[in-house]
Amino acid sequence: MAYVNVSRDPERNFKNGYLATSLFGMGTTLVTFAKQVFGLEESATVQWPEVEYQYSERFKGAHFLTKRPDGRVRCTACFLCATNCPAQCITIVAGESPDKGVEKFPARFEIDILRCVFCGYCEEACPVDAIRMGPEYSMAGLAEQKWVYTKDHLLDREAVKRKVADRQVSKKDENTKHDTVESSLPGIHAAHSNSGH
Amino acid sequence: MSNQVTLTINNQAITVPAGSTIMEAAQKLGVTVPHFCWHPGLSIAGVCRFCMVRVEGMPKLQIACNTPASEGMKVDTVSDDVKDAHKWALEFHLINHPLDCPICDQAGECELQNYYMKVGKYQSQMEDEKVLKPKALDVGDTLVLDTERCILCSRCVRFEDEVTKTSTLGIFNRGDQATIGTYKDKKIKHNYSYNLADICPVGAFTAKDFRFKCRVWFLKETTTVCPGCSTGCNVNLFQNRNQREYYRLKPKHNPDVNGYWMCDTGRTMYEHLNASARIASPLLSAEQVSYSAALKALGDEVQSVSADKLAVVFTAQYTNEEYTAVLQALKKLTGGMPKVFVWRDESEKEDEFDGILMRGDRNPNTRGMNDVLKAEGVKPAILKSDYSSLASSGAELTLVFGPEVESAYPNMAKALSRLAEMKKAVYFGNTLQEPAQKMWLRMPVKVFSEKSGTFVNFNGVAQKLKANAPVFPAVKCVSEYFGQLSSSAQSNV
Repeated sequence: MAYVNVSRDPERNFKNGYLATSLFGMGTTLVTFAKQVFGLEESATVQWPEVEYQYSERFKGAHFLTKRPDGRVRCTACFLCATNCPAQCITIVAGESPDKGVEKFPARFEIDILRCVFCGYCEEACPVDAIRMGPEYSMAGLAEQKWVYTKDHLLDREAVKRKVADRQVSKKDENTKHDTVESSLPGIHAAHSNSGH
Repeated sequence: MSNQVTLTINNQAITVPAGSTIMEAAQKLGVTVPHFCWHPGLSIAGVCRFCMVRVEGMPKLQIACNTPASEGMKVDTVSDDVKDAHKWALEFHLINHPLDCPICDQAGECELQNYYMKVGKYQSQMEDEKVLKPKALDVGDTLVLDTERCILCSRCVRFEDEVTKTSTLGIFNRGDQATIGTYKDKKIKHNYSYNLADICPVGAFTAKDFRFKCRVWFLKETTTVCPGCSTGCNVNLFQNRNQREYYRLKPKHNPDVNGYWMCDTGRTMYEHLNASARIASPLLSAEQVSYSAALKALGDEVQSVSADKLAVVFTAQYTNEEYTAVLQALKKLTGGMPKVFVWRDESEKEDEFDGILMRGDRNPNTRGMNDVLKAEGVKPAILKSDYSSLASSGAELTLVFGPEVESAYPNMAKALSRLAEMKKAVYFGNTLQEPAQKMWLRMPVKVFSEKSGTFVNFNGVAQKLKANAPVFPAVKCVSEYFGQLSSSAQSNV
């Protein structure tokens, strides 16, 4: 049976040895230190939490719900995010919206953030750009804290307001709905116009 | 001339009665031809122009639903021009469709969606704006109408004209302004209205009962029998298995029993199955006890009375197997046949029939119960408005097998308070009504969706129930309770 002799490292020489590599590493550190002392290079270390690191806009942090231009929730409770969620952490209860043009809206929208795996599938499934993963990454808290994010929390929490500001308003085109429908059909819908939704 | 014709569809020969259409022959052969307006339970309209097939010798494509099959006909449903016809017919249907699937309850069981995936998959070539029409109209107590989603197949109009003969609906205006709607000052008011939501191939009619409650792809269906009346319609019962919550019933085709339809009263038969309408634990002398304690108390009590001091009050809402098991167990435990009574509601009109499906006998198994009692040689006394026969029976223990569908017993509270006056009354059932709590023992039982067994309908058709996982796992059905009682009595001896 063929075997490999591992008793001696074939690459063993002075250059790969302990002393040479230690001195080489120390050299790198000293050069960087000197550069930063004399202001030739900026430090990569961020003084968190005083200074916050700016992730890219595409960072997938904690979720938030977007709003329509008039400030109401953009979500139409279609359940596609809840269907798509591999962790099954989204709970939606749909209700009849007071706005007749919208029809359906989430009466409850909850995310169990402890179950969430931050995969971003909810964001991808959403047909109306209503749920997004935000820039918020620091979510540590106490065990007794409420870890189920409610609809109000997802819509209006401070961290999101501060960081995404007007990006929270969805610019996606709204469907033209009931309000603009002037029914000119003779005598059919007059009977329903009062009792309809 | 023979009464049968033989034709070939996609080179497969099939023989059908003369006068059948190509669509019926294709269905018989198991070939699906895409269709919207054709429904086997309704007349032929031929308006959707979707079921195009190539018939050899005819210059153009023909609609399968309205072309009679003839001897030696050669039909092709899979050639390229047929596929092309399906594709562009579908685009025509979708020209003014709003595509609001995210807020549409039909999404997931919508034929527009299904056919788009099966025969559509085109890039839309329309540049014009969609025609907007009124949405979310209130057309009755049970339905919401969205005229934008409608593809004008006229199934609902034909249903109203032919099945219920109420003729509330019509198609108004022409061309792209054509709209489905109710006639002026008319609403859909009959006991079969939810069928409109079923037969609507798109989401134009949606049920208020189910509106926005659950997306259909979360639901799993069980085929079982409706317990709403003695017709015993075959139904699909839809449950969200994760939530252990039932949401709706839909009819299942059975030509011998219910055809394609079921009534609105039957559609409410999911309500009493959910945990909120059920009781989870036995109540012994107004105190919650464990199942084993309750069964032990019941067993001791049954064994201490003689058969002539034991009264059994049945309702016709249990399965044949349960009646047999209860009577056998009691015979074994008491050494004789107990006095049997049958509780019917005071207001019941047993022989009523609405002409379509629903019967006045609102119990699913009257015939089965009578058969079992006859086989056991028991002549039951009927408790309707007169309870004197029970009161004078001198029973020391009364076992009441209450109805699971309480809407069939509008005078139930009154009857219960009478039954509660008995010396020691045991109630099997899930009622939340007050008088049942005054009884000595109240045992929760399984409902029709959780047990397997047989219901015999008014016509003598025996049909099997199919069991789902129970909402409360500790709850058993009466045959299991009495089986336990008789086996534990045996081991004591």
